[in-house]
Amino acid sequence: MIWFLLAALLPGLYWEQGVETAPALKKAGLQRVYVPAEHEQAWRAAGFTAVAFDPQRHAKAEAPGVQYRLSVASATSVPWIDANGWRFQRNVGKTWSYSVPARKAALAMAEPYAYGVDAVVRLDPPDLDLFARMLAFLRRIDRPRMPALANIGIVDDGSDVTGEVLNLLARRNLLFKVLMAPDPRYDLNVRIGSKEYPEEEAADPYTFAGKLRYQLTDEKRLVRIYGSDVVLVRLTGDGERARLHLINYANRRVNGLRVRMLGEYRAGELAAFGIDNAALLDYAARDGATEFTVPDIDTYAVVDLVKR
Amino acid sequence: MNRRTFFRRAAALPAVLSQGAEQGLPKYRVVSRYEPWPKPGMPGPLPGQVVAVHSEKAIDTQSEKVDVPTVREMMARGMRALTGDTDLRDAWARLFVPADVVGIKVNCSGAPGIMSTPEVVAEIVRNLNAVGVAPDRIWIYERFKSQMDSVHYDRYVPAGVHIEAAEGTRGAILKYDPNTYVEVNFFGEDDTRSNMIRVVSERFSKIINVPNMKDHGASGVTGCLKNIAYGDFSNVARSHMNTKTNTYSFIGTLATVEPLRSRTVLQIMDGLRGVWQGGPFSPNRKYRFYPKQMMFGTDPVAIDRLLLDIIDGKRKAEGAISVWDRSPEHLMKKPTAMPPDDPNLNRYVREPGHIEYAAGLGLGVYDLGKIRVKRIEL
Repeated sequence: MIWFLLAALLPGLYWEQGVETAPALKKAGLQRVYVPAEHEQAWRAAGFTAVAFDPQRHAKAEAPGVQYRLSVASATSVPWIDANGWRFQRNVGKTWSYSVPARKAALAMAEPYAYGVDAVVRLDPPDLDLFARMLAFLRRIDRPRMPALANIGIVDDGSDVTGEVLNLLARRNLLFKVLMAPDPRYDLNVRIGSKEYPEEEAADPYTFAGKLRYQLTDEKRLVRIYGSDVVLVRLTGDGERARLHLINYANRRVNGLRVRMLGEYRAGELAAFGIDNAALLDYAARDGATEFTVPDIDTYAVVDLVKR
Repeated sequence: MNRRTFFRRAAALPAVLSQGAEQGLPKYRVVSRYEPWPKPGMPGPLPGQVVAVHSEKAIDTQSEKVDVPTVREMMARGMRALTGDTDLRDAWARLFVPADVVGIKVNCSGAPGIMSTPEVVAEIVRNLNAVGVAPDRIWIYERFKSQMDSVHYDRYVPAGVHIEAAEGTRGAILKYDPNTYVEVNFFGEDDTRSNMIRVVSERFSKIINVPNMKDHGASGVTGCLKNIAYGDFSNVARSHMNTKTNTYSFIGTLATVEPLRSRTVLQIMDGLRGVWQGGPFSPNRKYRFYPKQMMFGTDPVAIDRLLLDIIDGKRKAEGAISVWDRSPEHLMKKPTAMPPDDPNLNRYVREPGHIEYAAGLGLGVYDLGKIRVKRIEL
C-alpha cells in the first residue's frame, strides 16, 4: 500500500487582536498566524508568517463538545456529542473555520487533525497556551497520512437525511466512507432511498444507525471501544500499519478506555496529549483481534499499530 | 437531528435492534480464564441452609446506634450454628486460612443511610484476624468511591486493612479486569461489556458477601445475589431502560462468572437496618425499618428467598403494592432517575424472579420447602 507522502496541515490560529499582542504569541512559540486582512502587513512586519483569513468565506465547523442530560442519572442516558468528522468526510477539500469558547481550543485542533483537513481556529485568547501545547503535540506525532478504514460505504446524495445518518454513524463509532457509488471493499454498502434503505427509515437516523450496526454485526467492526460514550474514533491504515485516533469530547479526562480492533497487530504505541510517558495496558493480539487499554485520555490520543 | 431529538430517540430505541436479543432472554457471552472450583463457593457446602439471628438490642431505632457487643454475639452464634462448631475460631477456620486474601463485598449504595454496617464489617475483620488472616490481607471493597467514603470503614478496622473502590470517578474502567467480563447487548447500547473488578479476579482468594435487606426498584429486592453481581461488575446500569429491566437474568448470570462464583464462600446478610421502599437508596428514614437480624449461609439464593418475604411482608404491612406487582397501572407514567416517593408506584417492572432464575443456574435453593432455617433469638 502507498503511504501518502504529504503530512496533514496542522490547524492554524485565527487571531483578531492587534500586533501589540505579538509578545504573547511569541511566548507561546507561535510563528504562523491567520489574521484579518487589515492586520496582515503589521503582523508580517512583526516577523510572523501572517495569512489573511476571513472566517465567513470558509466552511463553518461547530464548536465540538458534549451535552449531558443532567436530570437523568443512568448509564443509558447517552450524551449528545457535537462533532464535525462526518461533515469533513462529505465535504472533502474545504478549509474549516472554528470559533470556540474557552477551553475548547485543543479539541477544535484535534478534530480536523485526525481527519486530515485544513482548519483555522478562533479561540478564547487565554487559551493561547493550550493552542500552543496542542500544536506541539500534533507536530510531534505528525506522520504521513494513510487512507481511512471503514466498514460501511455510504453513497452520499447530499441530502440532509443522509447527513444526519452520517452524523449518527460517527456518533456511534460505526466507521464509514462517503462514496459516489457502491464499493465491494466495504462490508456494507448503503444508498439511502434504495429498497433496502428507504428514506423513511433513514429519517430516524438513530434507529437507522442501529439497523446498520445490526446488519454489520459487532464482530466485523474494525474498531470497538468500551468504557466511554464520549470518545469518537477514526482509523487509518495501509494494510501493514494502522493509526487509531481517539478524540475525547468531554470536559474531563477519560480514565480508561478499552479498545478492540479487528486484526492482529504485533505492537501498539500510544501518544496522548497532556500525558507524559503514556503507554498502552493489557495489550493482547489473538483470535483475529487486538485489544488494549488506553489508561487516560485528556483530549486526544493516537495509537500507532504494526501488524504481525 | 438536534440534541433534543437525539435524546428522545436514544431513550426509545426498540429492543428488537439489540444484537442477538431475540424473543425472550438476552444473549450473554461470558469471558473468563478462570476455572470453577470443584465445589464453588456459591452455593457452597451448605445449600439451602440459613441461620437467622435476631436481637432487639442490635440497634437503637431512634439513634441508629449499633450495639457492638450484641453484634459480636449475633455473629458468633450465627457462625457457630452455621458450621456446627462450638468454638468460634473453628467455625471461621472452616472457611478461611491465614494464607487467604479476603475481599469483603460491602454494599454502600444507600450510604450513609443504610450500608453494610461498619460495626458488622469490623466484627468480620476481627474474626478473620483471629484465625490468622492479617489485616493487610483483607480488603473491604465496593464499586463507587464516593459512596464508600461516606461510611468511613477505616475508622472501625485495624490499620492495614485495605479500603478499595473500583471507580474513583464514575465510569472509570482501569480497576476492572479487561479479560473477565460478560458481553451482552440489551438495548442497542454501544458499550456491551460488564467487567469484573480486578482485585476480585486477580487478588482475592476468598470473598465474604455482606448485603443489606433492601427493596429494589428494578430487581424487587437487593440482597446477596444483587450485591455480589451488580456490585462486582462495571457498566451494569445499562440493563435498565424506560420501564424494562434485565435484572431477571443478568444478576444470576453475573454471579456465575468465575472466579467470583467459586471464591464467594460466605454470605452474611446485615439486616440491622432495612429499606422497604425506594431502594437501593435511603436518602431519609421514611422508608427505613429495623429487622434487627443477620442471616448467615453459603447459599445466596436461600437467603434471598427469605429476604423476599421479609421485604414483601413489610410492604404489605405498610399498605404498599407487592414487589411482585407488574401491573401497568402501578408504573410511573414519566419515569424519573430516582425511585418514586410513592410505595404504590413502580419505576420499572420489577423482577424479583431473578432469585429463582439464579437457582436455575445452580447458585442455590429457591424452594422454601427445601430451605432449612435455624432461627436464633438473643
